[in-house]
Amino acid sequence: MSDFDDHQTYPADGSDPIADDQDNDAAHDDDEGQGSSARRKTYGGGEEDDEEQDDEEEEDDEEEDDEDDSGPKRKRAKHRHKRAANPFLDIEAEVTDEEEDEEEDEEEGPDAFIAPTHEGDEEDMMHRSRNALLDRQRDQEFDEANLEKIAQDFSKRYRGRAAVRYTGDMNDIPQRLLMPSVHDASLWQIRVKPGKERDIVFSLMRKAIDVEYSARPLEIMSAFERDSLPGMIYVEARSAQQVNRACQGLVGVYPSRGIHLVPIEEMASLLQIKKQDLTVTPGTWVRIKRGKYQGDLAQVMDITENGEDVGLKFIPRIDLNPRDDMSVDGKKRKKSGVIAGTNMRPPQRFFNFEEVVKVYGRKYVSKRNQVFVFQNETYKDGFIEKDFKLSALQLENVNPTLDEITRFTRGQDGTEHESNVDLSIIAEASRKAAIAVLQPGDHVEVFEGEQAGVHGVVEEINLDVVTITAVGVDMDGQRIDLPARSVRKRFKPGDHVKVMTGQNADETGLVVAVADNVVTFLSDMSMQEVSVFSKDLREAAEVGSGTNIVGNYELHDLVQLDQQTVGVIFKTERDSFRVLDQNGQVRLVQPHQISMRRDSARAFATDSQGHELRVNDNVKEVDGESRKGRVLHIHQSFFAFLHNREISENGGIFVTRCRSLASLAPKGNLIKPGQDLSKMNPALAAPAGGMVGSGNMGRGPRDRSIGLPVVVVKGPHKGYAGTIKDTNGNLARVELHTGNKMISIDKEKLYRRTPDGQIVPLNAPMNASEGGGGGGGGSHGRFGGMGPPQSANRTPNPYGNGGKTPSWGASGRTPNPYAEGGKTPAWNASARTPNPYTDGGKTPAWNAASRTPNPYATDGGRTPAWNAGSRTPNPYNSGAAGASSWGGATPKAGGSTGWGEESGGWGGRTPGRPATSEWSSGDAWGAPTPAAAPTPGFLLSAPTPAAAPTPGFTPAGVYHAPTDAPYAPTPGGAFGNYTHDDEDAHYEPRETWVADDVSTEFCDRVFVFIRGTKRDQFFEGKLENLEGRIRGVITTQAGDLTQVANVFFTPGQDGAPESALVPIKYLLPLAPKGANDLVTALDGKLKGKLMRTREVPDGPTTVVMELGATHFVDARTETLVLLAPE
Amino acid sequence: MSAPIPPQARSKQLRACLLCSIVQHPMDFRREGCPNCEEIMQMKGTPDRIAVCTTTYFDGIIAVIDPENSWVARWQRTSKYVRGMYAVRVKGRIPEDVEAELENRGIKYRPRDQTDQD
Repeated sequence: MSDFDDHQTYPADGSDPIADDQDNDAAHDDDEGQGSSARRKTYGGGEEDDEEQDDEEEEDDEEEDDEDDSGPKRKRAKHRHKRAANPFLDIEAEVTDEEEDEEEDEEEGPDAFIAPTHEGDEEDMMHRSRNALLDRQRDQEFDEANLEKIAQDFSKRYRGRAAVRYTGDMNDIPQRLLMPSVHDASLWQIRVKPGKERDIVFSLMRKAIDVEYSARPLEIMSAFERDSLPGMIYVEARSAQQVNRACQGLVGVYPSRGIHLVPIEEMASLLQIKKQDLTVTPGTWVRIKRGKYQGDLAQVMDITENGEDVGLKFIPRIDLNPRDDMSVDGKKRKKSGVIAGTNMRPPQRFFNFEEVVKVYGRKYVSKRNQVFVFQNETYKDGFIEKDFKLSALQLENVNPTLDEITRFTRGQDGTEHESNVDLSIIAEASRKAAIAVLQPGDHVEVFEGEQAGVHGVVEEINLDVVTITAVGVDMDGQRIDLPARSVRKRFKPGDHVKVMTGQNADETGLVVAVADNVVTFLSDMSMQEVSVFSKDLREAAEVGSGTNIVGNYELHDLVQLDQQTVGVIFKTERDSFRVLDQNGQVRLVQPHQISMRRDSARAFATDSQGHELRVNDNVKEVDGESRKGRVLHIHQSFFAFLHNREISENGGIFVTRCRSLASLAPKGNLIKPGQDLSKMNPALAAPAGGMVGSGNMGRGPRDRSIGLPVVVVKGPHKGYAGTIKDTNGNLARVELHTGNKMISIDKEKLYRRTPDGQIVPLNAPMNASEGGGGGGGGSHGRFGGMGPPQSANRTPNPYGNGGKTPSWGASGRTPNPYAEGGKTPAWNASARTPNPYTDGGKTPAWNAASRTPNPYATDGGRTPAWNAGSRTPNPYNSGAAGASSWGGATPKAGGSTGWGEESGGWGGRTPGRPATSEWSSGDAWGAPTPAAAPTPGFLLSAPTPAAAPTPGFTPAGVYHAPTDAPYAPTPGGAFGNYTHDDEDAHYEPRETWVADDVSTEFCDRVFVFIRGTKRDQFFEGKLENLEGRIRGVITTQAGDLTQVANVFFTPGQDGAPESALVPIKYLLPLAPKGANDLVTALDGKLKGKLMRTREVPDGPTTVVMELGATHFVDARTETLVLLAPE
Repeated sequence: MSAPIPPQARSKQLRACLLCSIVQHPMDFRREGCPNCEEIMQMKGTPDRIAVCTTTYFDGIIAVIDPENSWVARWQRTSKYVRGMYAVRVKGRIPEDVEAELENRGIKYRPRDQTDQD
């Protein structure tokens, strides 16, 4: 059959055998690649054919495997063998489908007909005959074909199979003819995750191969990335749609950020981007990027052929002080090397055989020829010689300094090794740079060329040509054009210069020597000689370094070096300090080694005479050298750092013990006028003061801003709220409310947040809180501590302020209740008194109080009830308490006006009642502004005799607050109805608070709990303490008690019905418990706003955030009520 | 026909052929040689040869998916080559013997380091 096929097909393509052969090969490849179902179909008639084919293929594989073993002859034979079969395969594959079908039909017909009868014979026959044919054919070919043909065949064969002959057919086309045209597909830029570009290009390739034969192959033609274009890849496709589809499902590709078309004229340049090639030649200076030798200068010695590895020579850093405990055991020593490498790297030092042997022992260093081997490194002439990857080296901006170069040149023994180092490279580099730094007016000299030796002043610079006006004997005044590279700045001894760039930048000094382009000057700062290139210098008149501040620290700061050590900076250098520590030792420290700056401004100590010693006192030593000085800092009341300009050592700073100092100016124990007496009282001394020998000295907040609630107003944390936890210099450590994060931030970026939500600069006077605190403290002192003062600290109290006014004074002893009440809102909570409103109405005291104002002024103060305060059922007290929660924080003029009106009708009191509506409106609630304006208003509004017993107002005011107008005139009755139990009350809402204080939009969402039902036997008290949610309020009769709320009780409570109608007087607002509860405020500025708590409400104030708002606000916890979600 | 795609894109080992700029894992170079220019480079099975004919110092990777139709491939002169990953720029020159052979055949050698653009 093969024979037949051969004959059948050869004529068809005999015309161009070579081309044909190539085609065949290609087709064959395809067949092999795809597996040929078509082929099987074709030979459906004879299955042996397939088998044989397989055999042949197997043979072929074998042949490939033993290619090396078998001789060329065998190989050729095999190829020929295969060849015999191949044309037949390929050509069959080329037959069109129609023909195949025909053939199939033809062949199947007879097969089906004949097979049943003659199958065995026929097959056998065919098999044999075909084998014979093949054999014959092969022999024939082998014998007859000339070698040339065989070779040709072979070469064709081989080429097709193993490697296409390299033709470089595209290499002759000039690149410009390859420019993209409009017919080419476009390039699309896609953003990808930076660092993932290459992976994504690979993924695209794999994906393209994967889906090649699927229903939807990728339609992109290529994709590429460039290292120099991070974060993007480019895909070649006809449309963005195709790109998008190709990128689907790939991680790290962001097609959503846009698939941008690359303009056709920019396409080529994307592929032409060229990293600046940095050639490395032996002798080049490089720097080492990483590791122990990071930043060290090294010189290239040799480069491997592929340019990947570079042999370097540089000054080693051998640890000559390995830890003592590790000196014996070799294993440990190795470890010590590692430790030393991580902690502090040893200084650069030339390899010295003797030294190393002394430290490490002889057996660790071996010598081969001129080279020492130590710890797997080779050392030659004191240098270490080591291979580095090119990528681990910094080739650009090496800028070797003169110091480094000279160290290299000197070599280990300090003598010049001219042969070692080629200075020309650095000279060249510095000269190039020198051109850039020339300026008109510079004094230069010519150091090479015809005009060598001439010097003059630069007139103009035009690219590389410098025009100078020569100065000198015979050419004076002439203008000369010179190449810029042959001039250099000229300095002469005595010039005062300043270093413009480099390590010594900003140093100034007096030139003492000039050698070629190296200028040596005596630094004004360090009084040491410094050598620099003349290109880095400029003549300057100024003296000294620009600043005494490095980082956050400046000269004469007291800084903490470690747990035990503090010191004073006496000299600042470019990026380090010289510090004199408390033990008198001088240290060179970097800014990062300083843990913090210490503030000793308020520290004091006792001197030798027992007098107080403070910072800035002028003192002298009583023993020792009797040095005089000004106290700069006092540390732990024991060490004093003194400064005396006349002492040259350590910048005039010295440290001594406080006990050995005496004040220069005699200082008695005179109390200066205006001195705060409270400072004399140890008990009252502020923690910041710090007493001599007191244990907790320095513990207290040194900085008043510590603990303040602040908001960040600038920078990335803008808008965040937090609390200052610590300060250091102008930095503050702020604990953010969110995310449990501590950040260090510039104090300038912080604004203090006042309790009413306003923000003021940190350094603005803190009269509100501080004053309040002071006042609070005072009142506690006087009244024996009535309650926790914390809220008093926050809320400046008009009452408190009122207490200081003369008119208050006039009211005799009665301010107490106001002060107490005003300053201790929290006092409410601790008030365990029976309800003054219920009981109070019946007590004579109450009656007296309510009806006659005078008793307050006179009797009230004296009655035990007054003093007993919190524990008595005293209406004043509780009234005062009410005032604190209601009226206490109302600086609003409105409130005081209301009072005024009331006071006018005080005697009867009734007319004043309606005015209380202003109170209940509560606008002023929670607005404890430091203005505290009400007091004057208050006073002004009380010009009547009736108003003289001012104290009366307060209870009255208080009294209004919790009661409603209708009940006010008859206190007794009103209070009788008043069902609030003072027990556990955090908040004193009126009994109609549900109707009055809850805005209508929340009235079906408010959570409440039930109180007071037991006493009235409402529902037999079964509902007492149950919690539930109001679903609605039914007002049966305005102002009547029969206002009832439909309460749905929270499931899971004992004995709770699903719902009940409860008179609203039994309802109390349920406070939020969690940090993210939905709440509203019942009073104050936040009243009626939908908010969420932002912290667990356990203090007097709670941080809340209005829904939809972006800032936090402090709300008074007692005004908050829990809301159900909508 | 496509070249083996290296499994790890970030591998530092990947090498690019100095002549055709195809990027492969050195193992693939050893096993199969260069799919495009093996005939002239003769790298198969000889690591030494691979070391001089390929380099790790290349920049930019192109996934050539459809070499015949891709402009990028044409610009890079790889459109007659197999599919695969190619480097945009390869640093270095082919060994001198290969360069001489190219000259013998009258083929212009174009280094892939973009030094000669015309």
